[in-house]
Amino acid sequence: MANVLELQGITKRFPGVLANDKIDITLREGKILALLGENGAGKSTLMNILYGLYKPDEGKIFVRGKEVHIDGPNDAIAQGIGMVHQHFMLVPVMTVTENVMLGIEPTKNGVFLDQEKVAKRIAEISNQYGLEVDPASYIKDLPVGIQQRVEIIKVLYRNADILILDEPTAVLTPQEVEGLFKIIATLIKAGKSIIFITHKLKEVLAIADDISVLRLGRMVGSIEPNKATPEKLASMMVGRDVSLVVQKSAPKPKEAVLKVENLFVRDERENLTVQGVSFEVRKGEVLGIAGVQGNGQTELVYALTGLSSAESGTIELNGKNLQNATPRQILESGVSHIPEDRQRHGLILSFPIHDNMMLCTYYQEPFAKGISLQEKAILSNAEALVKQYDVRTPNIYVNAGTLSGGNQQKVIVAREFSRPIELLIASQPTRGLDVGSIEYIHKQIINKRDEGTGVLVVSSELDEILALSDRIAVIYKGQIMDILDAKKASKEDLGLLMAGIHPSTSPKKK
Amino acid sequence: MKKLYFVSALLIIASMVLTACGGGTPATEAPVATEPAMVYKVGMVTDLGGIDDKSFNATAYAGVQQAIDELGVSGKYLESTQQSDYAKNIQQFVDEDTNLIVTVGFLLGVDTAVAAKANPETKFAIVDYSYPDCFGEGFVEGQTCGSASELPNVLGLTFDIDQAGFLAGYAAAASSKTGKVATWGGINIPPVTSFMVGFEYGVNYYNTQKGANVEVLGWDTAASDGSFIGNFESLDDGRSITESLVQEGADVVMPVAGPAGLGGAAYCKETASCWVVGVDTDWTVSASEYSDVVLTSVLKNMNVAVFETAKSIVDGTFAGGVYSGTLANNGVGLAPVAGASDELKAELETIKAGIIDGSIATNP
Amino acid sequence: MSKTASSKETKEKKETAPTGIGGGSIRDALLVPTLAVITGLIIGGIVMLVSGSNPIQAYGALFAGSFGSPSAILSGLQAYFATGDNTLLIKSIYPFTESLVTATPYIFAGLAAAIGFRAGLFNIGAEGQFFIGALCSAFIGYSIKDLPMIIHLPLALLGGALGGAIWGMIPGYLKARFGAHEVVNTIMMNWIAFRLSDWLLKGPMQASNFRPVTPNVFASAELPRFFEAPLRFNLGFFLALLAAYLVYWFLFKTTLGFEVRSVGANPDAAKYAGMNIIKNFVLVMSLSGALAGLAGTAQVLGVDHWVGQGFSAGYGFDAIALALLGKSHPVGVVLSALLFGFLRSGATNMQSVAGIPIDIISIIQGLVIVFIAAPAIIRWFYRIKSLKIDEQTVLTRGWGK
Repeated sequence: MANVLELQGITKRFPGVLANDKIDITLREGKILALLGENGAGKSTLMNILYGLYKPDEGKIFVRGKEVHIDGPNDAIAQGIGMVHQHFMLVPVMTVTENVMLGIEPTKNGVFLDQEKVAKRIAEISNQYGLEVDPASYIKDLPVGIQQRVEIIKVLYRNADILILDEPTAVLTPQEVEGLFKIIATLIKAGKSIIFITHKLKEVLAIADDISVLRLGRMVGSIEPNKATPEKLASMMVGRDVSLVVQKSAPKPKEAVLKVENLFVRDERENLTVQGVSFEVRKGEVLGIAGVQGNGQTELVYALTGLSSAESGTIELNGKNLQNATPRQILESGVSHIPEDRQRHGLILSFPIHDNMMLCTYYQEPFAKGISLQEKAILSNAEALVKQYDVRTPNIYVNAGTLSGGNQQKVIVAREFSRPIELLIASQPTRGLDVGSIEYIHKQIINKRDEGTGVLVVSSELDEILALSDRIAVIYKGQIMDILDAKKASKEDLGLLMAGIHPSTSPKKK
Repeated sequence: MKKLYFVSALLIIASMVLTACGGGTPATEAPVATEPAMVYKVGMVTDLGGIDDKSFNATAYAGVQQAIDELGVSGKYLESTQQSDYAKNIQQFVDEDTNLIVTVGFLLGVDTAVAAKANPETKFAIVDYSYPDCFGEGFVEGQTCGSASELPNVLGLTFDIDQAGFLAGYAAAASSKTGKVATWGGINIPPVTSFMVGFEYGVNYYNTQKGANVEVLGWDTAASDGSFIGNFESLDDGRSITESLVQEGADVVMPVAGPAGLGGAAYCKETASCWVVGVDTDWTVSASEYSDVVLTSVLKNMNVAVFETAKSIVDGTFAGGVYSGTLANNGVGLAPVAGASDELKAELETIKAGIIDGSIATNP
Repeated sequence: MSKTASSKETKEKKETAPTGIGGGSIRDALLVPTLAVITGLIIGGIVMLVSGSNPIQAYGALFAGSFGSPSAILSGLQAYFATGDNTLLIKSIYPFTESLVTATPYIFAGLAAAIGFRAGLFNIGAEGQFFIGALCSAFIGYSIKDLPMIIHLPLALLGGALGGAIWGMIPGYLKARFGAHEVVNTIMMNWIAFRLSDWLLKGPMQASNFRPVTPNVFASAELPRFFEAPLRFNLGFFLALLAAYLVYWFLFKTTLGFEVRSVGANPDAAKYAGMNIIKNFVLVMSLSGALAGLAGTAQVLGVDHWVGQGFSAGYGFDAIALALLGKSHPVGVVLSALLFGFLRSGATNMQSVAGIPIDIISIIQGLVIVFIAAPAIIRWFYRIKSLKIDEQTVLTRGWGK
């Protein structure tokens, strides 16, 4: 079978960094090549070179056997190369049709936009590849999964037959991932070739025909999926053996630290998204809240941590009523919070690490005396935490925004773990992180549990819930479907509960 | 205090030395004039309106320009953009050994007096202002300026504008078809209201002469109050006050508010429902886009006053005190009245003569 | 983190050595503004050339007008040391001191905008706060008689600061309480201040029934001048420097300032960290208003001694440019205020000697601001490779909450 795309010896240097070092990859026609690597391994740089956004310092690009020079996205499109970016390039206030035609607007009589023609073509593409979407709807009204379809349609509309999908599953729910995989299968059937960039091992094993692994800007090697295992891939990515299973002893739960009863919460748009939730978290155990993203988890955590107020119900911490307390009151009662969106809530990216390390306790001794900040204490605290939590950073003075996602998360974990706490609320604690960081953060959470802290983990990654939890509560449409013992819970049953169905064969509801 | 003095002096000297090492351009040595003949220097400091205000500053500078052309003096101006520029600009001219410094507007009163006291050799003329009332109530005696007698080197250029306003009032009354004419002002202060006083007196004179009953809206000399917009800048305010006066029946309006008055002219032009009477300058020239609705203009001939002052410097006849611009010395005047009959023209000439010889009173 | 990545960062670290809490890299902070100023001057020169003036003569005059003539200063010094007569010396340092006098309100006003930006607030109302501050201090200055300076001057200063603070606090409170956007409210407050001052100057605060100006303040409320007339250099300049230091201390050395910066940089994270965002909005707008009020106060008590119409030359609006130019850092604000002060002050001489309209200074200032706001132009122009943008100054947040 012909190679539709070949990169030979691609090298790209940035000041002080070798982002790509003599990389060779080959994409076979009608196949899926998975490009695997940790954050910062050079995947994005490579794809930006292919898409004409960067110029390689060395190396050649062949498309269908012919050497080409790609000087910009237009060249790439002319070669039939299309890219679906991780962060969508869509205009929210425009319709699907308008977004698709943006940049190549066809006209009637040379003046008037010919939207109907575009809409017709979109409908054709939709039918052909199973990309169902209403061309007249506005992007802002569409769920993320559908927006991604629009991105794919955009690429197909420009007649691409080599598709680059950059981390396409990072923003999707498990169901949407399923849908995407089906679409990919249709595309392949229609003769398209795909480069699939990811750091999620299971996805790679599920759909790839070929796998190439990058590490530190170099090609570590290629491997066929049938010869690969998650462990093997992980060690290729990280460069050492990685434990994918969290090692933990049996829990020793004691009395309840957090009691939530009949809690109702509204979201920012005043929708009642948490509808009568009750549960408790005991000292020394991990309660996992599983569920598809958008079923009220975010609002539940906001209400527990004071970021929003609850409509009704009670929240008790060690018997103390914390309903509608301020974030500071909750914080001072011994609650730590690893927020779902670390860049929005967890960190101030434009502040140096040392300031982020005391973000919640800046007004307390030893960081402050009166209103005067104590620089020495702030710096030594940061130095110690960076060392203890293995934050990889040149120093504590760089801004948090310059760190990789994993190290940003470590900063938050370090800060939140560094004060005496009764309860840890960890929301999506490893979202978007690479294998090495996930392993580390999971270990830290279990350590906290073993110290006797109550832990509430909220995650839409079922694997993470299963790895960490001692008990699992499944949330669906703002209600707890069931609370299961983690040891007895099967993935299938949890999946059904997450979809709002009580499995008849599963253990009885408690 | 001593210490601060010392420290600041030290700082300044240190930075000066640094600058000196950096090699400053010697362009500072102002091009040394080598003319053997004495060339008198005239400098004018504008108020915040700037040199292109088509009003006070522009008119005053026209006098400087005339002096340059006819008397062979050298002349230039400095624009002020804020209050603290006044003193600075005056000082700039003092440092350049300017013979006559013309300052425009009452806002420069204090700074002109201070500079005049400090530089008795330099002559000053201040447009539209006269000492000694530079203190006013609440000023601290002796702190800023003395009485006029202490300022023999300052000439205040004032204008009996009510004389010209009187003529405008007469012409307006003669031209009105509705029997109502109006005036309004920027702020209720004498330089503004004296236009309005003359205007009202002129209308009243018309009524007694012709047995008519033309009414004046927007000003009442007896009550010393009328319609004011509170500023000199807002064309919108000028427009809306004109609109309301026209709706009350006036068909001739005299706005005494600098640039804001143009808002009134714009309203008259758009609706073709009223005449405007320009002030300070001839609006058919300075605001020519409205010339078809300008009935006439009340002229404050500052150019004449400034030129006369410059001439007195060259002649060596300069004396401090007060210059009053009147109809007699052409310091104030009335621009031609649009569509005036020969009869009206003759009447205006007669009245002018009456004002000059004092037989007609233009103010209380 | 990978090896290459960390080696990259170590390298960057060498180039941009940290300067401790609140510091950035000095090179990064200065490079673009300096080039922006130089480019602005060059383009201003081209404009002069096109309009038929001689830019070299003009800039020579500008320089002489803002710094003075070095040779004149030297001869002034000689004369002083030889004869003890300081007339020449006073005359020669006049331009330099005038520049500092001009810079003084710029420093205060720039700090006002900067502290707002630090909290993510756009205080466009500095102009109104400037007026209110000036009027309050003038009132205290002229209405109270026979006070010793030690009481009268601080009282007048305090009054000016308080007036500005109240004028700033109102929009701050409206934003905190009702979510009303501060840009709209501060603009409204500007108009109220302008009309209020029109009325006050014509009515209750009018000196005489003739001119709409306030009486002069008493000598006991004046900021002392250091030299004899015509030098207007006064204590206000040092108060401005002190204010800059206090703002620096507040922002970077206190818990309150930490909150302010957190709220500005990331209000969500600030809320997460338990900070009271509402309280900070009100606090910052009050402080910003107080600083803008002090700008007007310093101008009244130090330079003019009375307030008339057109008292401000748009300091409140230049304040935003100053904060932008100074990256909302007190040191940067002081430097940019000095730049503006020297440009503005030297412009008088340039206008007089070279006959260049002072508007050219506005053009140069405008160009500098454009280049600062769009640093990519400067980077492209001078081919500066990927400068690291460390701290993006947050200028303002979206509308409403």
